[in-house]
Amino acid sequence: MTLKTLLMGAVASAALLTPGSYGPAKAEPIVSEPLELDVFMHFRDKYGWNTDWPVAQKVAEATGITLNGTAPVGAGDSRELFNLMIASGDIPDIVGGEFSGAGVKEAFDQYGMEGAFLPLNDLIAEHAPDIQKVLDENPTIRAAISAPDGNIYYIPYLPDGDVGRVWFVRQDWLDALGLEQPRTVDELYDVLVAFRDKDPNGNGQADEVPYFNRHAEEAIRLVNLWGARSTGSDSYHQFYIEDGKVVHPYAHENFKVGISNVAAWYQEGLIDKEIFTRKSRARDELLGGNMGGVTHDWVASTAAYNDKLAAEIDGFSFLPMAPPADINGKVWEEHGRINVKPSGWAIGYSNEHPEETIKFFNFYFTEEGQRIANFGVEGLTYYMVDGNPVFKDSVLNGDGSVVAQLWEIGAQIPIGFPQDYEYERQWTNDLALKGIEMYTEGGYVVEQFPGIAMNAEEKAIYDKSWPNILSFMQESYEKWILGAADVEAEWSDYQAQLERLGYSDVLAALQTAYERQYGGSN
Amino acid sequence: MSVMTDPGVSHTSILTPPSEFDLPPLTLGQRFIASILRNWQIYLMLAPMVIYFLIFAYRPMLGLTIAFKDFSLFKGIWGSPWVGLEHFRTLFEDPYFWRAVKNTVIISGLSLIFAFPAPIILALMFNELRHQGFKRMAQTIAYLPHFISIVIVAGIVVNFFAPSGIVNLILMKLGAEDPTYFLTKPEWFRPIFIGSNIWKEAGFESIIYLAAIAGVSPSLYESAKVDGATRFQMMYLITLPCILPTILIMLIIRIGNLLEVSFEYVILLYQPATYETADVITTWIYRQGLQNNNYDVATAAGVFNAVVAFTLVITANRLSRRLSKTSLW
Repeated sequence: MTLKTLLMGAVASAALLTPGSYGPAKAEPIVSEPLELDVFMHFRDKYGWNTDWPVAQKVAEATGITLNGTAPVGAGDSRELFNLMIASGDIPDIVGGEFSGAGVKEAFDQYGMEGAFLPLNDLIAEHAPDIQKVLDENPTIRAAISAPDGNIYYIPYLPDGDVGRVWFVRQDWLDALGLEQPRTVDELYDVLVAFRDKDPNGNGQADEVPYFNRHAEEAIRLVNLWGARSTGSDSYHQFYIEDGKVVHPYAHENFKVGISNVAAWYQEGLIDKEIFTRKSRARDELLGGNMGGVTHDWVASTAAYNDKLAAEIDGFSFLPMAPPADINGKVWEEHGRINVKPSGWAIGYSNEHPEETIKFFNFYFTEEGQRIANFGVEGLTYYMVDGNPVFKDSVLNGDGSVVAQLWEIGAQIPIGFPQDYEYERQWTNDLALKGIEMYTEGGYVVEQFPGIAMNAEEKAIYDKSWPNILSFMQESYEKWILGAADVEAEWSDYQAQLERLGYSDVLAALQTAYERQYGGSN
Repeated sequence: MSVMTDPGVSHTSILTPPSEFDLPPLTLGQRFIASILRNWQIYLMLAPMVIYFLIFAYRPMLGLTIAFKDFSLFKGIWGSPWVGLEHFRTLFEDPYFWRAVKNTVIISGLSLIFAFPAPIILALMFNELRHQGFKRMAQTIAYLPHFISIVIVAGIVVNFFAPSGIVNLILMKLGAEDPTYFLTKPEWFRPIFIGSNIWKEAGFESIIYLAAIAGVSPSLYESAKVDGATRFQMMYLITLPCILPTILIMLIIRIGNLLEVSFEYVILLYQPATYETADVITTWIYRQGLQNNNYDVATAAGVFNAVVAFTLVITANRLSRRLSKTSLW
């Protein structure tokens, strides 16, 4: 018996068990005659739509529509594959995908307006009640997925959960030095100084790295402690909205105060000296080497170090803590999960079955579709317990992370579907859950701005100036932190140079686009 | 010019007119066709390369029109509207583009001065080794770095030059006060970049010079020995002049690539803090163009690159032909 037949068997038996076991009765198939559609879908430089995915087969069975992938199922450069597909001019019935880290909304908008994808507004209103409901209840989501011409060209992937990165501190070090978790920026300073000077790991060497991070950008994010912003959304360097105006954090007056203090901390050795080059090794190296004291990182994966290192480091305890209050006394967390991703899927212009396709998209917003997209296939990855899906032990303790196992069978992939945080809660450890609870109850996480859709003229202005401006900003703040230049002395020159590079023009273009896109939703 | 009596050898040069004086004079076209018919086997052997270049080198050049268009992947090369020299104006008005050009020229120029002679010196040194076993081992060790992936090399360099890395450890032992964070200092980028490149490539590149040295007639050395020349004199007066044509050809090729600085390696080593000296044309194109799918601006920069490189090669070739009678064509 091959693996495939095993899986098919699992799918078939799961299908026999499903009816009536969860919520409303099983959805009626969308089509009376089986329908096959082509789909281009490649994501994470690793996965392409695979008709053999148990989840894909399960969905095909429920809807009567089978999708045949046109992208290679194995590894490849997702962005390149996507661009090649567009350049060929041969747009499949359905197009989805995600480039390493980045979504494809911009491509959906641009090529959609050029005619490559169908506008979905009317199709959604007429044939997709469940999607329509989500859009009606969340005007921000509707605004965020709209193109500059007001049309919607893609059905988005809607992540669930708010908390992303949180603060972590070595509780056992605090205890050894008789300190409390820092609650303000001044207390944090004292803790970092103590970590630097008082040899909390007790090896007799001053090898402690008080604050460390895998991303140099997180050192910039420390400006939060002085009330400044470092980005507007879940990725770095993004614009944000202040009193209805689009602004960039690095050009803001309060960034000057923040970055000069961060520079002072760096000079004093409170921030990892090697933060610019240590990168992804930082967590393993510094936690594993019993040298790192405080960080700000993804809650679940960082909390997991408590399990990993328990045997190696005596008393190792790396606990989530609330964000220290900034100098204005405000407690807030800049990073959160965005609730609408710039990825999902769209309908190609030559699709002969747009109605069936949008109904197919809608399936993922129904209870049954959501469960399949989040948890996989009943019997294969989860069982129903008291009417709720619960992952099997073999999945929770399987090879690789749960989410990677789900990708392998076609669940939790960046297509248009609402994520259910429950899927993640089941494999997140208790420490992390406590941290999440603390941040959720405290209401620390600020709203994440989902981004602005620019029309062709606005985008031309942005594309011409923005890459240079951002490079210049990064170059400047790194020099300030490294002490190669002085913030106070340079700030007015810095502002003048931003002006020369066209910062005002970019802001004006974004402001127009922002008002057009979000004007109606507030 | 020598008069050829045997028409069968005239194919040694297409430019040499056949000497069939007894026939009525042929037009250029007729002569061309006759020459092809006479030497068709040779043209047949040439064909695969010509077709290769037409398909893979010349046809893609049509894509250069993207530089003059407002290019959209979906509309395609022919469907996108023309914008004239707009993208070139964007390039030339951009102060950071010129900084990238400057950095590219400086890095390449320094490479030419320091990295180009390295494999030649290495080859000369290998050639002087008398113990065959040691020679083979030394050569193998020198070749090895070439086969290490550039990503790994960058990782090694980052580790070595980190404040807690081996370079700083040695400097501290020698009495330096504070560790230096080399990779965030603009003034250190070029030495590190070029130095590590020499370490990686000099051994492998020395192969071509070793081959040239192997081709030098032993009788020259024997007669020099009879005349009482020292080993240094033999190297200076026999080996070097004999491999000079090879050196010049390599130099011309190198000059053609003057604007091509290893893009991946720079990306792996640079920081915003070192853009000042490290940002080269290709990395600028990457940030300005490719990250945002602005293929048109990126292509315009590529065209600029190609035009400069073409001019440089022609100039270098002409200079070389005039000065040393060695040239690529």
